[in-house]
Amino acid sequence: MTVPPRAPPYSRVMRLCSLLLCFFALIASGAVAAPQSYLLDTEQSRVRYEVDFGPDIIDGTMPVSRATVVVDFDTVANSQVDVTLSPGGATASFPFAAQALRGPKVLATDEYPDLTFVSSSVRPEGTGAIVTGDITIRDVTRPIALNAQFFRPQGTQQGDRRELWIEMTGAVSRSAFGADGWSDLVQDEVRLRILARITRAEE
Amino acid sequence: MQLRNTLNEFGIITRVLHWLIAVGVIAMLALGSYITRMEVGFSNFWLFGLHKSIGLTLFLLVGIRIVWHVISRPPAPLPSAPWKDRLARWVHLGFYALLVLVPLTGWIASAASGLDVVVFDRLTLPQIAPTSETVEEAFFTLHWGLTKLLAALALLHIAGALTRRDGTLRRMILGRATAD
Repeated sequence: MTVPPRAPPYSRVMRLCSLLLCFFALIASGAVAAPQSYLLDTEQSRVRYEVDFGPDIIDGTMPVSRATVVVDFDTVANSQVDVTLSPGGATASFPFAAQALRGPKVLATDEYPDLTFVSSSVRPEGTGAIVTGDITIRDVTRPIALNAQFFRPQGTQQGDRRELWIEMTGAVSRSAFGADGWSDLVQDEVRLRILARITRAEE
Repeated sequence: MQLRNTLNEFGIITRVLHWLIAVGVIAMLALGSYITRMEVGFSNFWLFGLHKSIGLTLFLLVGIRIVWHVISRPPAPLPSAPWKDRLARWVHLGFYALLVLVPLTGWIASAASGLDVVVFDRLTLPQIAPTSETVEEAFFTLHWGLTKLLAALALLHIAGALTRRDGTLRRMILGRATAD
């Protein structure tokens, strides 16, 4: 299955991706039959978040410290994503917001240095997939569903799966994890957009 | 123009400090009331910094005023009914206590929030309280209550100054109670 080209959200991807094919277009080419392990490029991968702050939006990034990505192009449900973030390195577009985010009233990064996501199922959905799993923030684990799209970098041939980009979007309620500081100023819903560059692990 | 206070007159330093603090307190009561009600966003978040900056300035001015009154004692109140004298004395003592406690409780509460307390957009004040929601809430509640008390005392003080016809207000404006 081939999907129409789709504009990526970030300028880095704009440069890299010319032909955007979803995960399932890659499956259709049938070049790889077994689950493939991929390595995450932590330098180029980013987790962006945004949250409403009165009439404005605070946004920022959170570095990815490690990830395990296994993609089964034949049986999508066998795919697996396991990501660990370092909220202590979070940035924000607004003074005080990064400090507030890292502080004890929100992510308490001194006490909880990791934020993790472990997938439990992956199923096809439209031109992408729905990745469900558990996200753990402040040692509180809650289920989450992320919309996922896979892209192939610019200049690569169709069916070349050595390097891929994954974009995943979703949202969490921060109060569900006890990260409810400054709830009078900052809204509860935190929208997530994860852009990960993965490279197939050498056999 | 005399700098120091005398037995019957306020010197220029005492008067300038008095009016600077008076204007600052009235402005802060209005600003504090406004920022607790406004919808906070990028465009007005700086008002919290302004509130802290003026608060710190008032705190320092009150400190200077206390030291100055040790160096140069202010004149005794003009004679009036004993109950008025007592009331005026308590109001003044209350003012000094509140002018120290209100900024101090605001500073402690802000520090306990875990965020840097930044004034004048560049100066980070010392972290004078542990990061604790309990401390933060307790001291913001105290700050709010003491501020209401300060507003009540300010009204009482202004009412007293405006109703007394013995030259008390004139003495704080011009230094002496009479034109002589």
